[in-house]
Amino acid sequence: MVSRASDDAADAARPPAPVEGVAAVELIGVGKRFGSVVANDGVDLVLRRGTVHAVMGENGAGKSTLMSMLFGLLEPDSGEIRVDGRPVRFGGPLDAIAAGLGMVHQHFRLFDTMSVADNVVYGAEPRRRGILGRAFVDRRAADARVRELAARYGLDTDPAAVVGSLSAGARQRVEILKALHRDARILILDEPTAVLTPSEVDSLFAVIRRAADAGTTVVLVTHKIHEVLAVSDEVTVLRDGRVTGRFATRDATGPELVRAMTGRAIAEVKNPGTGTPGDAVLEVEGLSVSDGRRDVVRDVSLAVRRGEIVGIAGVSGNGQHELVAAVLGTIDASAGRIRLMGSDVTRSTVRDRRAAGLAVIPEDRRGEGSAVTMTVAENAALGHHRSAPIGASTGIRRGWMSLKAERSQARQLIGDYDVRTSGEQQLIGSLSGGNAQKVVVARELSHGAPLLIAEQPTQGVDVGAIEAIHGRLLDYRAAGNGILLVSHEISELLALADRVLVMYGGAIVASFSAAEATTERIGAAMAGAAAADGPVDGVRAGAATDAVAAGAAADPVIDQGDRA
Amino acid sequence: MTAPPETTPGAAPVAGPRAPGAGRRLAAAALRHPAVVPIGAVVLALLIGAVIILAAGLDPIAAYTAVIQNSLDPGQLDYTFSVWAFICGMALAAAIPLRMGEFNLGGNGQLVLGGLTATVIASSLPLPSIVLIPLAVIGAAIVAGAFGAISAPLATRFGIPIIISTLLLSPVAVAVVSFLVRFPLGEAGSAVAQTTRLPEGARMWALGDLSYSNAGLIIIVLMMVVFWVVDSRSAVGFELRVVGANRRFGAYGGVRVGRLSLGAMAAAGAAAGVVGAVIVMSSPFRLIDGALISPGYTFAGLAAALLAGGRPALIPVTAILFTVLQVGGAGMERSADVPRQLSDVLQGVVIVVLALRTVLDQRRTERSSA
Repeated sequence: MVSRASDDAADAARPPAPVEGVAAVELIGVGKRFGSVVANDGVDLVLRRGTVHAVMGENGAGKSTLMSMLFGLLEPDSGEIRVDGRPVRFGGPLDAIAAGLGMVHQHFRLFDTMSVADNVVYGAEPRRRGILGRAFVDRRAADARVRELAARYGLDTDPAAVVGSLSAGARQRVEILKALHRDARILILDEPTAVLTPSEVDSLFAVIRRAADAGTTVVLVTHKIHEVLAVSDEVTVLRDGRVTGRFATRDATGPELVRAMTGRAIAEVKNPGTGTPGDAVLEVEGLSVSDGRRDVVRDVSLAVRRGEIVGIAGVSGNGQHELVAAVLGTIDASAGRIRLMGSDVTRSTVRDRRAAGLAVIPEDRRGEGSAVTMTVAENAALGHHRSAPIGASTGIRRGWMSLKAERSQARQLIGDYDVRTSGEQQLIGSLSGGNAQKVVVARELSHGAPLLIAEQPTQGVDVGAIEAIHGRLLDYRAAGNGILLVSHEISELLALADRVLVMYGGAIVASFSAAEATTERIGAAMAGAAAADGPVDGVRAGAATDAVAAGAAADPVIDQGDRA
Repeated sequence: MTAPPETTPGAAPVAGPRAPGAGRRLAAAALRHPAVVPIGAVVLALLIGAVIILAAGLDPIAAYTAVIQNSLDPGQLDYTFSVWAFICGMALAAAIPLRMGEFNLGGNGQLVLGGLTATVIASSLPLPSIVLIPLAVIGAAIVAGAFGAISAPLATRFGIPIIISTLLLSPVAVAVVSFLVRFPLGEAGSAVAQTTRLPEGARMWALGDLSYSNAGLIIIVLMMVVFWVVDSRSAVGFELRVVGANRRFGAYGGVRVGRLSLGAMAAAGAAAGVVGAVIVMSSPFRLIDGALISPGYTFAGLAAALLAGGRPALIPVTAILFTVLQVGGAGMERSADVPRQLSDVLQGVVIVVLALRTVLDQRRTERSSA
C-alpha cells in the first residue's frame, strides 16, 4: 500500500499534459463522501475547449460521482467547479444545462412511446404562434432542428421514428442530439460504448471528433483503454476517488493507463485450450421463439457439453436474449425442444430448470439480475433461499430461511469477489455497476450448476474485474461445467470460447471452432455476410439496420476488435 | 475532508453560501429517513384537519383532545382494543399482497363473505362450541380466501390487474350477501335486514367479563404474528419481498409468481374472512346488513398497511393511529361538536400523502442510478 501510494503521488505529480487550449471547465480539489465511503478526494480536472478528455478508472473509482457533481446531480462536499473561469454552484441538472453542459447517461432517459424529434426538443420546444399564443409545439421546426443537428454532427437519425423501436445505438444518438439541441458546449458521455455494437462505437467516435473539432468539449467516461487511445486528446485516471494519472493521449501507452487504473499490470487471460468435452448439459433442437408477430429466434439448434465454453456472437437484438430467456424459461418457445442434463425441460418452470442444474448471469442487471431496493445479502440469496445453508430443501426447516446464513454467505461472496461495499446490508442499487455485477456473477457461479449461461458477463465492468471474471469462467469450465457465453465483444469470445456460434436475424448463421475463429470471420458473420443471400428480413427493424450498417463499416469494426 | 475555506484560496468566493449548503445537505439526509414520509403524512393530515375545524368555527385543540380522551378512556379500552384488532386484521388483508406490490381493494367483499360463511356454519350445525367456533372461523377463512384468490389467475392468465379485479368484484360479493341477509337468511318479522341471533354455543369465547374483546381478537393477533414470522423468516416471505421489489428479478430467480400471487391473495382474503367471522360471532351475535362495512375497517386497515409500507412489525403501530381516529371520532362528535366524518377526511389525507411517496421514491431511485 505504501509503495502504491507513493507511485500515485509520482503519477499525479507529472507535469500537466502539454495540450493547448483554454479551460472550459475546471474542477479544483473536488471531494465527495457518502457516509464512510470517500467517493472523490481532492480531484483536480481541467477540460480544455474543443478537446476530448477521457476520464478513466475502474468501477467504483469515482468517475460517475465526479461527473454527477459536474452535472449538478450531486453537490460536492469540498472544492470548486469553474465553468469558463467563473465559479459555479449547480442546484441541479437544469443549472448545469443552463451553463452549457450536457450529459448522456449510461441508462437512457427517453420517452419510448414518443418520436425522436419529441424527445430531442422536450423541455426546450420550438413553439408555433397561434390563437393561444405560443402554446403549441412546432413539430415541423422540431423535425427541421433535429435534421439540421443530425447533419451537422453526422448523427444518422430519423426524427419521426418512435424511440421505443430504435436500437441502443440510435437511442444514444437521440440523447446526444438532446444535449446538442440545448446548445451544450460541454458534453459528458458516461460509458457511451457499453451498449453499442462495434460499428456503432465507430460512428460514435466520428461524432465525438466532429463535435470536438466544432469547439465542443467532450468528456468521455470509460474504462476501455482502446477507446481512450482511439478518440481522446487527454486522459485523467482515477483510482479510489483520487487522480492517479494525467496524460496527453499521444504520449500515453496502454500499459501505462492500466497501471494508473489498477496499480498493477494486467495479464491477458488466454483460453488455455480445450480438454475433451463430456456429456451434453444443454441440447437445443429447432428452437423458435415468437414475439407475437414474427419469430425472433428461428430454428436454433445447439449443444453445450461439460468442459466447454460455447460462445454466441451477434449484434445486440438478433435473438440472443430471447434464446437465453427461452432456455431459462421466462418466455415460452413456439417450437422446438430444450433438454438440460438430458431431460426435456421445454415446458418446465424456471425453478425446475434451475433445480436441474442451470444458472444464468443476465444481460439486464438492474432490470432482471437484481432488485435495486434490496440489500446485497438479499440479492445474493435469491435462488439459494430454498437450499442449504440459507434454506432447507427437506426436513423440518423446509421453507424457512436462516438470516445468519444469508448474511454469512453474502460476506463470503463479497470477500471472494472483492465487492466494494460498506457491508452486506448495503442496498445493491447504491453499489457501482461493476460491483453490482460482481454480486450477480458471484451468486450465479456459487450454484455450481453444470450449465451456466453468461450473458454479457463483463458488461460495464472495469479491466481488473473483467480479468477476474474471465478467470472465474475458465475455472468454472475446468471444473467440468458447460458455459454458454453470449457476448457482443468479439475479443471476449476469442479469449474464452471453444466454439463460437454467430446469431443473425434470430438464426445461427455461422459456427467456428476456436482455431477457425478470427475477428474478421466473426465480424463478417455478425454483419449478416454469411446469410446475406438468405431470407433475412431482420428480427427487428433496428437490429437489421444496425447489422447492415455493420456490414458497410466492416473494416473499422475489425480494427476496434483487434485493439481490444 | 472538508477543508476550512480560508486555507483554500480558490474556495473563498463560495465560503458564504457553503454553510447553508451544509445545513441543506443535513436536512436532505434527514428527509431521506424512511420514517419521515409516514410521520409527515400524519402531521400534515392533523394540520389540515385543524384548518377545517377552525374554518368551521370550532376549536381544533378541544376536538383532538376529545379524540384522544375518548379513544384512550380506560372505560372504553375494551372497545378500543377490539377496533384496533379489526383494523389490524383488515390491514393484514391489504399488507400481504402489498408485500409483492399488489393492492387488495376487495377487503369489503372478503369481509362480508367471511361473516356470511361463519353465520351459516354457526347457526346451522348442531356441534359443541369447541368444534363449532373454530369450524366457523376456518370456513369463513376458506370461503373469503377463495374469493380473494380469484383475482390472482385473472391477473396471471388474463392480464386484469389485481387492484382492478378486487375493486370490481368486491361490490358483487357485498350485494349478494346483502340480498341473502334480506331474504333467504333474514330474520322473519324483523324490520332490520339481519339474521337471527346465533345460538349460545356459537358465540366467540369472552375474555373474562369484557364485553367487546373476545378470543377472536387473539386469533387476529396470532395471524399478525404468523405474517411477521413468515415475512421475515420463510422462503415464501422472501419471495414475496423479492417480487415486490422487482418482479422480473423474481421470475428470473425461479419464483413462481403466479402461484405466489394466488397464495398471497388467498391469505389476504382469508384474513379478511376471519375478521368477518369474529365480528358476527361477537355481540350482537348476528349478521346485520351493512354492519361489517359501515365502521370502515377495510379502508382504515388499508391505510394502516400503506402507512406501514406493508411491514408486518409496523402494522400494529400504524393501526393504533387509525383506531384512535376511528374510536375518538365518535367522542369528538359528542364533546366537541365536530362531525365524525372528519376522521375519514384525515385518513384520506394520510393516503394521499403516502401516494406522493411513490413519486418521491421514483425520483430517489433515478438519482441514485445517476
